[in-house]
Amino acid sequence: MMNEVIQTSLARLQIMKAKALAALRKGENYELRTELNSEYKERRKEAVRRVIANMTVGKDVSGLFTDVLKNMHTDDLEIKKLIYLYLINYAKTQPDLVILAINTFVKDAEDSNPLLRALAIRTMGCLHVQEVLDYLCDPLRKCLADANPYVRKTAVMCVAKVYDLNRAVAEENGFVDAVRGALADSNAMVVANSVSALSEMSAMAGGRGDVWRLDTATVGTLLTAVNECAEWGQIAILEALAEYRPASEREAEGVCERVLARLQHANGSVVLTTVRLLLRYEQYVKRADLLAQFAKKMVPPLITLLASEPEIQYVALRNINLIPQRHPQLLSKEIRAFFCKYNDPIYVKYEKVDVLVRICSGSNVDALLNELKEYAKEVDVDFVRCAVQAIGRLTLRHEAAADKAVDVLVELLQLRADHVVQIAAVVLTRILRRYPRSQFAATVVQALCEHADCIREPDARAALVWALGEYSEHVAGAAGRLSGVADGLVEDDSGVQLALLGAVVKFFLKNPQQGQQLVVRVLKTATEKCANPDVRDRAYIYWRLLSADPAAAKTIALSERPPCRDDVPALPEPLLAELIAELGCVSSVLQKPARQFVYARTDRAGVPRGVAGANDCDDDDDDASAHPAAPGAAAIAADGEPELLIAL
Amino acid sequence: MGQYFAKLFDRLGFGSKEVRILILGLDGAGKTTILYRMQIGEVVSTIPTIGFNVETVSYKNIRFQVWDLGGQTNIRPYWRCYYANTDAVIYVVDSSDRDRIGTARDELAAMLDEEELRAAVLLVFANKQDMKGAMSAAEVSDALGLPRLKSRQWAIYKTSALKGEGLDEGLDWLVNAIKSA
Repeated sequence: MMNEVIQTSLARLQIMKAKALAALRKGENYELRTELNSEYKERRKEAVRRVIANMTVGKDVSGLFTDVLKNMHTDDLEIKKLIYLYLINYAKTQPDLVILAINTFVKDAEDSNPLLRALAIRTMGCLHVQEVLDYLCDPLRKCLADANPYVRKTAVMCVAKVYDLNRAVAEENGFVDAVRGALADSNAMVVANSVSALSEMSAMAGGRGDVWRLDTATVGTLLTAVNECAEWGQIAILEALAEYRPASEREAEGVCERVLARLQHANGSVVLTTVRLLLRYEQYVKRADLLAQFAKKMVPPLITLLASEPEIQYVALRNINLIPQRHPQLLSKEIRAFFCKYNDPIYVKYEKVDVLVRICSGSNVDALLNELKEYAKEVDVDFVRCAVQAIGRLTLRHEAAADKAVDVLVELLQLRADHVVQIAAVVLTRILRRYPRSQFAATVVQALCEHADCIREPDARAALVWALGEYSEHVAGAAGRLSGVADGLVEDDSGVQLALLGAVVKFFLKNPQQGQQLVVRVLKTATEKCANPDVRDRAYIYWRLLSADPAAAKTIALSERPPCRDDVPALPEPLLAELIAELGCVSSVLQKPARQFVYARTDRAGVPRGVAGANDCDDDDDDASAHPAAPGAAAIAADGEPELLIAL
Repeated sequence: MGQYFAKLFDRLGFGSKEVRILILGLDGAGKTTILYRMQIGEVVSTIPTIGFNVETVSYKNIRFQVWDLGGQTNIRPYWRCYYANTDAVIYVVDSSDRDRIGTARDELAAMLDEEELRAAVLLVFANKQDMKGAMSAAEVSDALGLPRLKSRQWAIYKTSALKGEGLDEGLDWLVNAIKSA
């Protein structure tokens, strides 16, 4: 007995060795082909597994098409699924050979096992091959009327695939009608899939509206189905309802009330889609008390989303970011929920700070300033910059916060931490530009001067120089400081050079005696020694202006300038409306409407849907340039849109 | 050497070897009906086979893996994909279709030329004998040019798949031919 075992293992080894040698000689696909045609069932099964394994790691096994197909006719569901997977992957490369699989598909679509029927019909649709279409119609018709809801819901989705492949076939065979009929199905899952199939088909038809139009009766069935079906079904139905235009105010109110329960769902996407629906229906519902009630109901679920894992939080925050732009007050009481936790990932922290700035109202701005001050003391340099900038943005939005914000920033300056000082200096001068004649101007300029030795980065130094010129009356020895900067003028950063030009001219106009020598020296150096043409040009302009008409120079250089505004502006209203209509989708994460980055599959590959249409380009350009906060998003669109590059 | 071990594995129960049989012929000759007559012994209603059917049939303690390939003109070129490792070919002819017997002869000749089928035995079924005006086995044999075949084991049987006549006789011959091969 023992002997026999050893003998068999030896034999196995020898066969394996022989196989390995053969593989080396003829390549792996040759070996797989032999195995796929083996007389032994087990070996064929193993070979199919290996083929799929190779396929998934990206090796080309399309050459084994017919050999794999031969194993398709099997009772083994595992092998069948694997082979179906193979077919989906390679059918397009071998469209002629796909007909060899038809008979098996047709038989499987009539199998007694509903899972197999559904699998067959789904796979046939997924092949996306014209040659299969003729043979797909009969099984599809049977499956659409199947007794099993799982088969029906799969068949309904298959119709959308057929429609994509050949609209005429889908319509002439009555498949589209059958899907419309399936909206009244007794099973919620089938209803949800019909909705999503119809939405997709109508998107393929270019939204001409001949595929389907919701009516009051259908809305009723959808509202019943939405409570029963699975989460993705709910999303499909809610999306369809959000696009619906209710016939009456009464109906709109009814829809809103019946979907409110969806806000409690655990799936963030369901929640966001419901929010989208409610926001869109605001235009149809007129009763203020109802609107207030709906808005109130939206808040807790949105806050709950912030308790999920960081990635979901990020997506939620990007979406929430849009809501205060429509309802500034909605979330302002919940400000504490958006405070950063110490272990939040950095991308979540950035989004939270941005949302905080947007939702803050005058009443709780103090609390937020204290919070931001703490952030500014953290170790992460970039986050500190973000927090200090947020203080600035907050102050530009709320005048009441200005005093407190200046206190906070001056306090931060006093920490003399290098990176904080730089950004705080810039932000302080921005606040001065917003509120130029305020009582704290003196405090700010003096504080800046006090820490001038720490201010090193070009932006910060330019800010300091600007403040010295603008508020020289508040500083003792402004002339000396400006003169110090002027000594290094030639090597300095162009931003500082430009700021210095303005500053010395203003200083001279305010104090002609003290400033004369300085202004001449600076203008002379700038025009003669500076390499930067901008700097030279500006120096010439000032020079000529001063020599031609000092009075005019005074009115120009010392004029009242419009106050600066928040550097992250709200989105323009049409874009915001479009983004809210796509709330819960990628577009709200990118803050770019889908038409700019969703590519039409067939007609013009590589060109976003909107651009393929007539005159959409102009809109696109406006949106992109009006929203510099999303450089990533702009870059994405730029890939497909050379026009956009020029506009940027 | 390899053969020896394969037999050894077989005896020890490592999988079981199947005899591969192809059923070929023009469209509408009755291939699918014959396949299911062999497998379940009944006449099933069939639709034109676009692609193939494959069933395992046990006959006289031999397991046959029987492949029934579609006979439509556009599928015939792909028959060759299935020739590898084939032990026998059952060629089914519609005996009542005198118009296309020439086409049947050409397809048969092309198939027998294939290197991969050199060792396969050939069984011809002159099917649809229940139809009026069907050709006899000898007529079909002549029309297909069977007597001129050299170096190949072949036989022809007249059958009616609907009535189930002649199939068993043909299979008996096939089993013996394969055993002796």
